[in-house]
Amino acid sequence: MSQKTRESSITSDRIKVIPRYGSSLKDKLYLPAIYEGVKVTFKHLFTNLNDSNAIDTLEYPEEQPTDITSRYRGLHRLTHRADDSIACVACFMCATACPSNCIFIEATQREDGHDEKMPKSFFIDTLECIFCGYCVEACPCDAIRMDTGIFSLTGNKREDFVLNKEQLLANKGAFGEEVSCARN
Amino acid sequence: MTLAAILAAVISFALGALLALLTIPVLVWLERRVAGLVQDRLGPNRTNIGGFRLGGVVQSFADVVKLLLKEEYYPSHIKNGKWLFMLAPIITFAAALLAFMAIPFADTLIINNESLRIQPLPIDFGVFWYLAISSIGVLGVIFGGWLSHNKYSLLGAARAGSMVVSYELPLGLSILAFIITYDTIDFNAMVAWQSGTFFGFLPAWGILVQPLASIILIVALFAETNRNPFTVAEGESEIVAGFMTEYTAMKFAMYFMGEYVAMNTASAVIITMIFGGYQIPWVSTQMLLENFSTFSITLMIIVPVIVSVLVRWMQKNNRVRPSVSTDGGRNFETKVLTLAMIGMTLVVEAILIYLVFLAESSLANSITVALFQVVVFVVKLMIFNIFFILIRWTVPRFRYDQVQHLGWYYLLPLALINIFITALVVVGVSL
Repeated sequence: MSQKTRESSITSDRIKVIPRYGSSLKDKLYLPAIYEGVKVTFKHLFTNLNDSNAIDTLEYPEEQPTDITSRYRGLHRLTHRADDSIACVACFMCATACPSNCIFIEATQREDGHDEKMPKSFFIDTLECIFCGYCVEACPCDAIRMDTGIFSLTGNKREDFVLNKEQLLANKGAFGEEVSCARN
Repeated sequence: MTLAAILAAVISFALGALLALLTIPVLVWLERRVAGLVQDRLGPNRTNIGGFRLGGVVQSFADVVKLLLKEEYYPSHIKNGKWLFMLAPIITFAAALLAFMAIPFADTLIINNESLRIQPLPIDFGVFWYLAISSIGVLGVIFGGWLSHNKYSLLGAARAGSMVVSYELPLGLSILAFIITYDTIDFNAMVAWQSGTFFGFLPAWGILVQPLASIILIVALFAETNRNPFTVAEGESEIVAGFMTEYTAMKFAMYFMGEYVAMNTASAVIITMIFGGYQIPWVSTQMLLENFSTFSITLMIIVPVIVSVLVRWMQKNNRVRPSVSTDGGRNFETKVLTLAMIGMTLVVEAILIYLVFLAESSLANSITVALFQVVVFVVKLMIFNIFFILIRWTVPRFRYDQVQHLGWYYLLPLALINIFITALVVVGVSL
């Protein structure tokens, strides 16, 4: 079938005619288009020069972001129970769910009468972590959360980024929920 | 040679060197700041020396220190012609710098019947000097690209070479139209011609007398300086950094600075040839000197107005937002700069009052007029540099073949036709 017959076989309501630009003298001269463009860029330049504080950017270290919501996946924390003991029962669900294998748990016998097990040590290597949140979803005890609102972690050497149990317990939730909802 | 002649030569040379070299950091900073403001960002505005940011200009000096301290790396595959590899960026830089030196910054001073040119190179064939020297710049690019022994570098250099071949023609032909119109090849005489009027009321600027040649000149100079719609010698998506690919640290910086000096030179040439150079419209040097007291009193009124606008703009913008905790010394900087500007205004006013009411010296008057013209020149130069930068952030790049097409099929015939029309009109007027 030739090109022409194929085109005519399509009903007219399905054909959308795209206008072709660039053939008029004004388009070919190119200078009117440049004038229009310069008008736009100059307007932006002039407005921003006139009041540079109205520019919608964040002067970051001095100005902190205000749009971090409760669903934002920030730095991890380990939650507490009502009596301030650790909520984690060292079930290894988070370490199993972790796609980047950055959670390292060593379990020990629990003596405070809540459950049988607790973590002896709990490390998260935040350099390996991809902040996917699978550990939070996997946890049956609501013991690990990412609601600290902390979006920047700094350190002087690589070891600073491997957080231990005490550091994770010390991180506070930024959105009001302090204790674990599943273990209390 | 009298003392006045030596002084004028030394001062104008120093002025030329300062204007060419000191504008590099300012232009690099301006490019980034204007880009930021056009795109609703801020641009570099933090680097400071003891709290003095000057809007962020200090950043350029920090960049230069970084480039100086970087490792001087030589690609090990370059065996022969290492000295030429080193020399290539210097050729580009020096050519751009030398081409700037033929620009007059003020009208010829006449002291004791001796005329002194305020031009770093006191020559009366400035247009030829500019055309000759600015074309040498591409030699540095070709040497650099060839000696790098790199496909991208060679392609970039070949493109730069062909660009120069195809755009020198419309450039030269459009300049020829100006030479026919102004009947001179002296930049200073061109400016003097443009201080008259045209049709009785328009200032006789080249852009109004020769609009077609002016547009061709501007487009060709954009291409010559490798500025944005015509950046074919380098292009990240096609040939990496072009001829600069193998260059590092200060060698790269020489190319980079050479580009900005070339842009500055192009602005200066455009201003001198088609925007009345150091003159303000409708007013010639002769008129300024004859009506010196009127001119001074006008200046006395205008300078405080401009300074107060500047100070108010600075006080409004040199602040941090209420949400920012520390102010980083900006209040102090604003205070010091405000005092400095007010002090300078007072000095200018005092000098003008002395000149108008107390001294009756024609020498002092002509020096004041020359200084005023230098200021006008610098203001125009910066405005046109900002125009260059604004175009870069407005117009997207042309493809290589489109650039060549534009040059050979449109600009060259238009420039030729323009010469014929100009010649006919000039001959017709003189008959």
